[in-house]
Amino acid sequence: MCANCGFPAAPGHWTEAGADLSSDRLQARFRRASLLRAVLRKHGLTAHDDGSTPGITISTQTGNHEIVPDLAAVWAVAERMSGRPVDPLGPEYVGDDLPPTTCHRLPRGEAAE
Amino acid sequence: MTDAPDRRIPLTLLGGFLGSGKTTWLRHQLHHGKMTDAIIIVNEAADVPVDDMLLFKATDIRVLSGGCACCDGRAGLLALLRDICDQRVDTSYDGARHEHIVLETSGLADPGPIVDAIRSDPVLLHHIVVHEIIVVVDALHGLRYLRSEPLGRRQIETADRLVITKVDAADEKELKQLRATLEIINPAAALSGSVMGSAATLPEVGDARAEPLPALDGGIEVPIIATTVRLEPGADWTAFGMWLSALLHARGDDIVRVKGIVQTPSGRLLLQSVRKVVQSPEILPDHVTARKNDNCIVFIGKGFRPDDLGRSLKRFAGLGVVAKAEVE
Repeated sequence: MCANCGFPAAPGHWTEAGADLSSDRLQARFRRASLLRAVLRKHGLTAHDDGSTPGITISTQTGNHEIVPDLAAVWAVAERMSGRPVDPLGPEYVGDDLPPTTCHRLPRGEAAE
Repeated sequence: MTDAPDRRIPLTLLGGFLGSGKTTWLRHQLHHGKMTDAIIIVNEAADVPVDDMLLFKATDIRVLSGGCACCDGRAGLLALLRDICDQRVDTSYDGARHEHIVLETSGLADPGPIVDAIRSDPVLLHHIVVHEIIVVVDALHGLRYLRSEPLGRRQIETADRLVITKVDAADEKELKQLRATLEIINPAAALSGSVMGSAATLPEVGDARAEPLPALDGGIEVPIIATTVRLEPGADWTAFGMWLSALLHARGDDIVRVKGIVQTPSGRLLLQSVRKVVQSPEILPDHVTARKNDNCIVFIGKGFRPDDLGRSLKRFAGLGVVAKAEVE
């Protein structure tokens, strides 16, 4: 295998490639957990990352939890725990009518561009 | 009667399905000094080209984007080939004269009509000879698209040489079955293996049996489309990664290919995925290619409407896009 004909690859999981400095990486972890909470809330789940322990903790409202190593692993666990897939192309995200929770923030038409 | 040497320019056609590893294979050949004297033509179905920047070792590279050379982009290809021929015979032309053409097709191109078009052109017929059709086949996903995509089969049927890529990523049983299947589809083609462009040994077929491929003729073929989404400057990679990882988990069987460059605080990241597999992003030096296409991400697949991606980015991850998605 040749490792010389390309450009250097970002280390770690691909979803974490956007942060280089340790302070940026920590900030990205907290941001990731915050974004995940917003998405997983609709599935009755929550996400937690304390910034020091490796991985992301996904929990149900009844206290069941599982630690996953990275974002790619989140979705399979979320699907299993909630019983339905998290699909960014599902009707709630691509339907013509904006979901009520975001309707007041997004003028109609803007989201479709 | 004497056998005059054929002075036509040999053309090597490099084809293969979406994400099968064409550019990686070619990049490695160029890195090792092969084909560096050739004029490289890169054809991409999407409007925004990405692959050409990876072929920086080529001395002369031309890009045909926004349509497959076998159909929408055919006229553009023929015009470009005629230009190359004109330059070759123009005594006043002081640019480089190439004695070899390599055409890397888009992953949605059928090599057959391209070869027919070159051979049917009354001018090109006398100046260019199709020397070899090389088709690369992804060891990891090859059997899957052979089952479902007529185009994947047609590409393999046309090959003089088949290169199975990503040999290290597939298990041996699957690799043997893929090899047995390819030998049934195109028994005449030479077969070799590759990992990141380097030659790799293929296992013998042994007692492996070819995949029984379903008949695909007559069914309704769902069209594969190319859609470009331009992220707003300063887009949050964390949010984008969250969205894309979820998207590929849910829809990775339909979204066959994603590629583009995203500007982040840690550099310009070259993003590439094939179905659910995302490569570690390469960090591009600032001097490689203009930045005008940075933050443009190309999605190639089926089962979604072009506008869906922009909507989903906004609603799922809070990310804005700046240009209306386009269908190629």
